[in-house]
Amino acid sequence: MESNNMKMEIKATLENVAVVRVAIATFISNLDIAVDELMDIKTAVSEAVTNAIEHGYDGVLTEDSTVTVIANYEKNEYDNIKIIIQDLGVGIENIELATTPMYTSKPELEHAGMGFTIMETFMDEVFIDSKKDEGTIITLTKKLKKKKSKS
Amino acid sequence: MKYNYDDGNLKINLEEELDMNSCKILRDIIDGYIVRYQPKEVTIDLSNVKFMDSSGIGLLMGRYNLVKLMGADMTILNPTNNIKRVLELSNIANKITMR
Repeated sequence: MESNNMKMEIKATLENVAVVRVAIATFISNLDIAVDELMDIKTAVSEAVTNAIEHGYDGVLTEDSTVTVIANYEKNEYDNIKIIIQDLGVGIENIELATTPMYTSKPELEHAGMGFTIMETFMDEVFIDSKKDEGTIITLTKKLKKKKSKS
Repeated sequence: MKYNYDDGNLKINLEEELDMNSCKILRDIIDGYIVRYQPKEVTIDLSNVKFMDSSGIGLLMGRYNLVKLMGADMTILNPTNNIKRVLELSNIANKITMR
């Protein structure tokens, strides 16, 4: 079984969200992946990294704050992709509230409160592991549609 | 982005990837044009937007609220299929006219 993995660490600044999107898109483009699936994954990752910066480091952001993104895939009968987004920030106090569609802790900043809804809709599974004052680890997984047999 | 004002219609042609980084800047620029021209209709063309996450929903919703407050109308033009899927997850799709 063929597999591949990558790990990147970015400074926690919004400019770098686009950098992660491009890196992830390039990484998974090695797979036989449909454009829609690629866009779904890019969008979900964009939400998770934006959350890590905007909420994870809310009030505790320093020059040294970072977000780590780890991705791997396994080529199998179905290709499996797993992406982990980790921050070392304040943690999510109330996960149920944070994942409620259209809830946002920052309405004044025009956040739509749709980040987790997008992750949950566009990926197969979203795991949230968060500890107060230690940070948050989001794990996104997606199984690609059945491979077409190559002629 | 590009913009054009003609006879009550303010047309905004967005060209960048709509994420939190770009939306923070764009909302101030677009609001500046809306306040300056006091249009009767605002059209936001998304044909050249290749990527949008939930920040784009916030951007469009925020402009819609301002435009409504001023008694004007807002239309979103030409979202790609992927962007339409993001928009349809929120209630924005029921509120704002899309063509």
